[in-house]
Amino acid sequence: MLKDVTLGQYFPGDTVVHSLDPRTKILMVILYIAALFTAKSWLGYALCLVFLASAVAVSKIRLSAMLKGLKPVVFVVILTSVLNLFYGAGEPIFQWWIFKISREGIKAAVLMGSRIIMLVMGTFMLTYTTSPIMLTYGLELLLGPLKKLKVPVHELAMMMSMALRLIPTLIEETDKIMSAQKARGAEFDTGNLIEKAKAMLPILVPLFLSSFRRADELATAMEARCYHGGENRTRLNVLKLAPRDFTTLTVGALLLAASIALARIGL
Amino acid sequence: MNEPILKTENLTHVYSPGTPFELTALRNVNLEIRKGEILGIIGHTGSGKSTLIQHLNALIKPTSGRVLLDGQDINASKSSIRLVRSRVGLVFQYPEYQLFEETVYKDIAFGPKNMKLDAAEIDRRVRDAARFTGVEEELLDRAPFDLSGGQKRRVAIAGVIAMMPEVLVLDEPMAGLDPSGRTEIMENILTYHRETGAAIVIVTHSMEEAARHADRMVVLNHGEIAMEGAPAEIFTHGDELRRMGLDTPVMTDVADRLRALGVNIQGSVYTVEQMVSALMELEGGGRRA
Repeated sequence: MLKDVTLGQYFPGDTVVHSLDPRTKILMVILYIAALFTAKSWLGYALCLVFLASAVAVSKIRLSAMLKGLKPVVFVVILTSVLNLFYGAGEPIFQWWIFKISREGIKAAVLMGSRIIMLVMGTFMLTYTTSPIMLTYGLELLLGPLKKLKVPVHELAMMMSMALRLIPTLIEETDKIMSAQKARGAEFDTGNLIEKAKAMLPILVPLFLSSFRRADELATAMEARCYHGGENRTRLNVLKLAPRDFTTLTVGALLLAASIALARIGL
Repeated sequence: MNEPILKTENLTHVYSPGTPFELTALRNVNLEIRKGEILGIIGHTGSGKSTLIQHLNALIKPTSGRVLLDGQDINASKSSIRLVRSRVGLVFQYPEYQLFEETVYKDIAFGPKNMKLDAAEIDRRVRDAARFTGVEEELLDRAPFDLSGGQKRRVAIAGVIAMMPEVLVLDEPMAGLDPSGRTEIMENILTYHRETGAAIVIVTHSMEEAARHADRMVVLNHGEIAMEGAPAEIFTHGDELRRMGLDTPVMTDVADRLRALGVNIQGSVYTVEQMVSALMELEGGGRRA
């Protein structure tokens, strides 16, 4: 059951999207989000949608996986849409007590809802097609200039990759401990809130203990292999930008430019 | 032969169906656990052993097929699931990692408490379980985290035994223990078996242990039952077992090699005692070929 969590899950594949440099993909997501937020009209949104749809199509990620990942944000989408629905300016076309819905309100609701959905889906394209290791390596390279400002970029990237690496392990561990306690008759979905919180104790205590033990073991293992931070560390596979990365980035820049232009001329 | 208490019917389990990670862990498994027997389930890593045993007390639901306890589908309702959890006890691999209470006593009492038994009955069961597993009285008030590895393991097993299951399923109960720890744990399990008549299912990839204690053995390979029978039958198929990536008892290997050298060893040999008597027969009966 916990295994169904798709947060940050990577779907292996060998499409163009998968093989792009992680730096390119991170930058593309930033460009795409910027374009999405400058878009004000149907046309601007349509542009972003076409871009998103083609990325999904090329990456061969199943639509069902995309939709499944949206589950956690459904509430946010509905809330935002409903709020926007009532706060639109202009002539009301429906009015009841203090609620009034205008044409602009409906438009704002639909656009804001789709903006959030498209935002989340766009970031999925990054995490679904990039392995966590590549993702942190890309981030480390992109944030590299900050090293000059004494920001411990390598250490942060290392912590992030360890955290990402341990998420599935922790989920598996939680699953195992839950099963073991369930086998002893524990029930996690009955009773009131306090009872439910209490029922978590048999999971949390062993989980914390094993996390500490794991951290300890990992630290020892890293030290035993002479790990001492990022200085002078080299990579087995060094990332190099290929022509297709520049092509992709150009497309991204054009998308943002078009979106800004459309917003300027008020379309 | 005894009648079955727990049965699986065409049990199939598929993990993450419809994703690139789809994996069929079990395929049409028909397993029978009989009252009061000791059953050994063996198979290499990834053969589906752990998936199979988690079906036995409804921790995971079959993709297709059924699990029957006394002929009743255990996944039929919430109450049937609750019932099977107390009648079929499941000890996971490295069970000491599930200890969480402040004292050993409280930890062992967790299972019986969840069964909503009264205080006197809980107390009786905790002390019984501690006795079966060789956990001394004075340890009961200690924190479980202060104990040694072997002691923790015994406390964790006591936590399941305290529910007095009619079928006790143990996943690699002796993994990671030293030889004396292994013997002790096995003795504890056998004591529970003798005194309560409960059926015992031991999952292992150590052939030696399975061979020594099991009445019957089931060999799993790639999610299917590859062999089933008494240890003596199973170990006549030494080559097949080795092909499945399983080790055979040392004495079976020795017997096979002697046979290859032309020594006429009769029957199935998997313990030192059997080897001795097989060799004695040679002395008395025939000459070396």
